[in-house]
Amino acid sequence: MAEYRLMKGNEVIAEAAIRCGCDGYFGYPITPQSEIMETLMLRKPWEETGMVVLQAESEIAAINMVYGGASCGKKVMTSSSSPGISLKQEGITYIAGAELPCLIVNVVRGGPGLGTIQPAQSDYFQAVKGGGHGDYHLIVLAPASVQEMNDFVALSFDLAFKYRNPVMILSDGVIGQMMEKVKLSEYKPRWTDAEIQKISGSWATTGKTPDRDYHIITSLDLDSAKQEIFNHKLIAKYKTISEKEVRYEKISCDDAEYILVAYGSSSRICQKAVDLCREKGIKVGLLRPITLFPYPTKIIQEMAKRVKGFLAVEMSAGQMVEDVRLAVNGKVPVEHYGRLGGMVPTPNDVVKALEEKLINVK
Amino acid sequence: MAKIRGAIKVDVEKCKGCGLCVVACPTSVIALSRNVNSKGYNYAYMEVPEACTGCANCGLVCPDSVIDVYRVKAGVEA
Repeated sequence: MAEYRLMKGNEVIAEAAIRCGCDGYFGYPITPQSEIMETLMLRKPWEETGMVVLQAESEIAAINMVYGGASCGKKVMTSSSSPGISLKQEGITYIAGAELPCLIVNVVRGGPGLGTIQPAQSDYFQAVKGGGHGDYHLIVLAPASVQEMNDFVALSFDLAFKYRNPVMILSDGVIGQMMEKVKLSEYKPRWTDAEIQKISGSWATTGKTPDRDYHIITSLDLDSAKQEIFNHKLIAKYKTISEKEVRYEKISCDDAEYILVAYGSSSRICQKAVDLCREKGIKVGLLRPITLFPYPTKIIQEMAKRVKGFLAVEMSAGQMVEDVRLAVNGKVPVEHYGRLGGMVPTPNDVVKALEEKLINVK
Repeated sequence: MAKIRGAIKVDVEKCKGCGLCVVACPTSVIALSRNVNSKGYNYAYMEVPEACTGCANCGLVCPDSVIDVYRVKAGVEA
């Protein structure tokens, strides 16, 4: 029997983590994601499933606890909001360099610096293009509803362990604070030691036995030739991910002349904007990238052959629009519309921007 | 007949300052405070308490159920 509840996006992340058999959560409070740890502390999963929940002394400590937990083949996660994620970047690139699976949740708020506590989508570059140093990528998922906050937790761990790569859920202050009906996942037990041995036994530091060599978790190689080989291995991995894991949603795109491209909470606003445009007789569709890395480049390339223009709608000064432009490659106009600093656009703002920037251009 | 008076009580720590109650209030009683709660959100409060009719629209729209609405007895200040 499925369990339905009215919950906040942040609360759902915590609930979903417990239910998918997560072994450990390490975090540090910051608005607008504090409810994740608050919910975990209230639920006391250490009594129920044995999941560890720990408030670290800082964001940097939290991400390094994740590094340690992931090294042992455990399902571990952390969460923060923009300034906290900036602090975690060193740990994240080390985890990517050591090829470890983990989940990082970023409930984005306006920046730069401490910025504001209201929602924004201005961490796209940081999440998708790197953030930390070195040639690495995270798999980035962008939920657009509280339901997806639930679904993407288990999916993230699946992807993380499939590719031995850190996964980021790039949410924002709207989805994190919003209350919606959610169908909760079924309980899955935490992995036993034998299961961890089976799934991650080839690399995890589970204790050396006489029949195998030492497992060493490191991101350091002083031999440049070896490091280059390792870099190529990573790039090959990202290529496989780009081929197999692209996820997106198309809404009213089949007969559309103009396409709105938006992810996360912006896509919810654009969904209404599409309806408003259709009432006016303007044929508009919405493409919602669900994975931001890998980006749905191919579908945009195909659409560029038959539509009149793209409008990227995001609560930033224009970050994802660059990926749309790269995909469109000059075939049709690509414009950007966004509000900044924690302001959220209305559907009518989007319609107006579409008319001004694409439709009524001479 | 005396005018029906109401009053609201906001659970300040749970309020996220979304402002839905401000829009829903037919007599413009509610505003967002200049003060913030421990999370940093400007919480809802009664800016014009004497105009409250106790209609409970704010309590109905509040997505986090942080508003309680009371009826104030005539002659008793909230």
